[in-house]
Amino acid sequence: MQRRIKHFLTGIAVLLLIFVGTNVAKSQSAGDLKFNEILVLNDSSAVDDFGMHTAWIEIFNSSYNTVNIGGCFLTDDLSNPTKYWIPTGDPATLISARFYTVFWADDKPTRGIFHLNFDLKQAKTIALYNADGKTLIDKVDIPADQKPDITYGRPNNESTQWVYLEKSTPRSNNDYTKKKSAGEVFVEIDPYGIGMTIIAMFVVFLSLAILFVIYKNMGRFFIRRGAAANTPKSGEVKVSTKFSEEEMSGEVNAAIAMALYMYQNELHDYENTVLTINKVSRNYSPWSSKIYTLRKSPR
Amino acid sequence: MGTFIDFIIEHLAQFLQFTAFANMTIGHVIMICIGLYFIYLAIAKEFEPMLLIPIGFGILIGNVAFAPGYQIGIYESGSVMNYLYFGVLQGIYPPLIFLGIGAMTDFSALISNPKLILIGAAAQLGIFGAYCLALALGFSPTEAGAIGIIGGADGPTAIFLASKLAPDLLGAIAIAAYSYMALVPVIQPPVMKLLTTPKERLIRMKPPRAVSKVEKVIFAIAGMLLTTFIVPSGMPLLGMLFFGNLLRESGVTKRLADTAKGPMIDIVTILIGLTVGASTQATTFLTLKSVGIFALGAASFVVATFGGVMFVKILNLFLKEGNKINPLIGNAGVSAVPDSARVSQVVGLEYDKTNHLLMHAMGPNVAGVIGSAVAAGILLSFLA
Repeated sequence: MQRRIKHFLTGIAVLLLIFVGTNVAKSQSAGDLKFNEILVLNDSSAVDDFGMHTAWIEIFNSSYNTVNIGGCFLTDDLSNPTKYWIPTGDPATLISARFYTVFWADDKPTRGIFHLNFDLKQAKTIALYNADGKTLIDKVDIPADQKPDITYGRPNNESTQWVYLEKSTPRSNNDYTKKKSAGEVFVEIDPYGIGMTIIAMFVVFLSLAILFVIYKNMGRFFIRRGAAANTPKSGEVKVSTKFSEEEMSGEVNAAIAMALYMYQNELHDYENTVLTINKVSRNYSPWSSKIYTLRKSPR
Repeated sequence: MGTFIDFIIEHLAQFLQFTAFANMTIGHVIMICIGLYFIYLAIAKEFEPMLLIPIGFGILIGNVAFAPGYQIGIYESGSVMNYLYFGVLQGIYPPLIFLGIGAMTDFSALISNPKLILIGAAAQLGIFGAYCLALALGFSPTEAGAIGIIGGADGPTAIFLASKLAPDLLGAIAIAAYSYMALVPVIQPPVMKLLTTPKERLIRMKPPRAVSKVEKVIFAIAGMLLTTFIVPSGMPLLGMLFFGNLLRESGVTKRLADTAKGPMIDIVTILIGLTVGASTQATTFLTLKSVGIFALGAASFVVATFGGVMFVKILNLFLKEGNKINPLIGNAGVSAVPDSARVSQVVGLEYDKTNHLLMHAMGPNVAGVIGSAVAAGILLSFLA
């Protein structure tokens, strides 16, 4: 018993190690939000819903699921992580998968939930905190040498570096260059599909070859185990049976199964009644009485 | 009175403009004829009736010409047919069908003779043969990938991949895939006979051994983990296939397995067949591309059969006498279950009335289902 528990615990430990070692999956939560682009000096760039040119902060949902930013905190002061609480319960705080939202850093929170209670004039850092007000989701250090209408952001969604961008692109991808699809890139190198055929056939064979190897060995193991089970232990008298499970071919099994099936299904003619040995009692009840369920004849 | 009569005539004329007669084109007539032919094949010839009846009738529905703007057509947002087609476009139906296939498939033949698994891999050559040909004919890489999967002879996989890579060609690809699956008994035998010698056709294979329940349960779990760890993009199909199989083999979820392989797969088959058929509106379907897709589909089935049969012949060079495989089961590596296995049986019986190949052919046949799903995952990884 102790040995079994030991094996079980070892198995759990191995699984945990594998999980920890390979856990790169996205959480699909507020943790997937990140700052994407900011504009500190807005002279003639995008205007807010009041027609004002103010500093703005763009946040990108890097997950492949809708994420609610409501409840999170934005701040320009790391010693005060809960400076601006993003209200909850507003559908506008839902950010679609791989999409963007913009907050206006104008120090006018009365203008709506996307207007922050700080601006970026003196800000050296901006940070996004989770709803607990403690867990840092993302942080950006803002260089001092900001130029009017030149945004500072990631050159593309996957980049970790921040640069000054040529175009300001609020609520859209910072990388606006024409891109080739994965297929086009593949075909540029492999125009006739030979490479694809070789790689794909290799992978298909590999997948099924692994199954083959496992099942070949597993088959041997089960055959051996079956043989061992049929071998009498010392001192034990085993009644010899004519066929062991392994000796019986699939065809024999199929024949037996067919015979059983026919025996069970075709032994009798089809009958649509049920035979029972239960007592059938018809106790009187006014609920089932014909007298009360039939309409009375008119007089 | 005259004004009233004018009113009646005017509105009758207006109504006539709404009828299918007024909107009919020669394309619609051609498509309706194709739909009727599918129904004829299904009823009179019993070619894949479960598929060809819904698809054939779907073609009729899709080609009733209507005035646009009334949320009638399958491509009009908000129409009933559009809602039903959503399951095709988003690739929802194919994994559900795979769940049912898993619940009704017995992998014993494969487990008892694991080398048959490799035939299922070899027959996927048809997919990549068609992919190369499609590229040569000028199709875009994603279109070529979606067309290539026809060679896997697996309708749900073809729909799944086409919906991701080339939604515009989905109707043509699905129709081609299902049509050629129905025509497996016509396409495969000549290739099988051409590639085999009389002596090879008479090879008798060892009867498969009995497989224990534990082995079957382990197969469902290990099969899913191994294949999806290598090709995660095939997970929707492979995951559901092996899940359905576990429901079947665990022995404790009979009700779930019965639902998966019974009412559920029937419902999804009706929906997928009808909507795929209806997606072949003449205006979107009758193009030169569709003709190309049909030609490539036929070629892919031939290449797939070639790949399977030739692989067995090569494998036999390394196998001892008594362990050799009859190359007539090589064709079953395509995943048209159980039609291609049935073809092996029928062709085998032509040469030896007592040599039953059906159970042996089921091995590569179900391996083909796994192989084509893996191949679809690879294409999706590289091209999407």
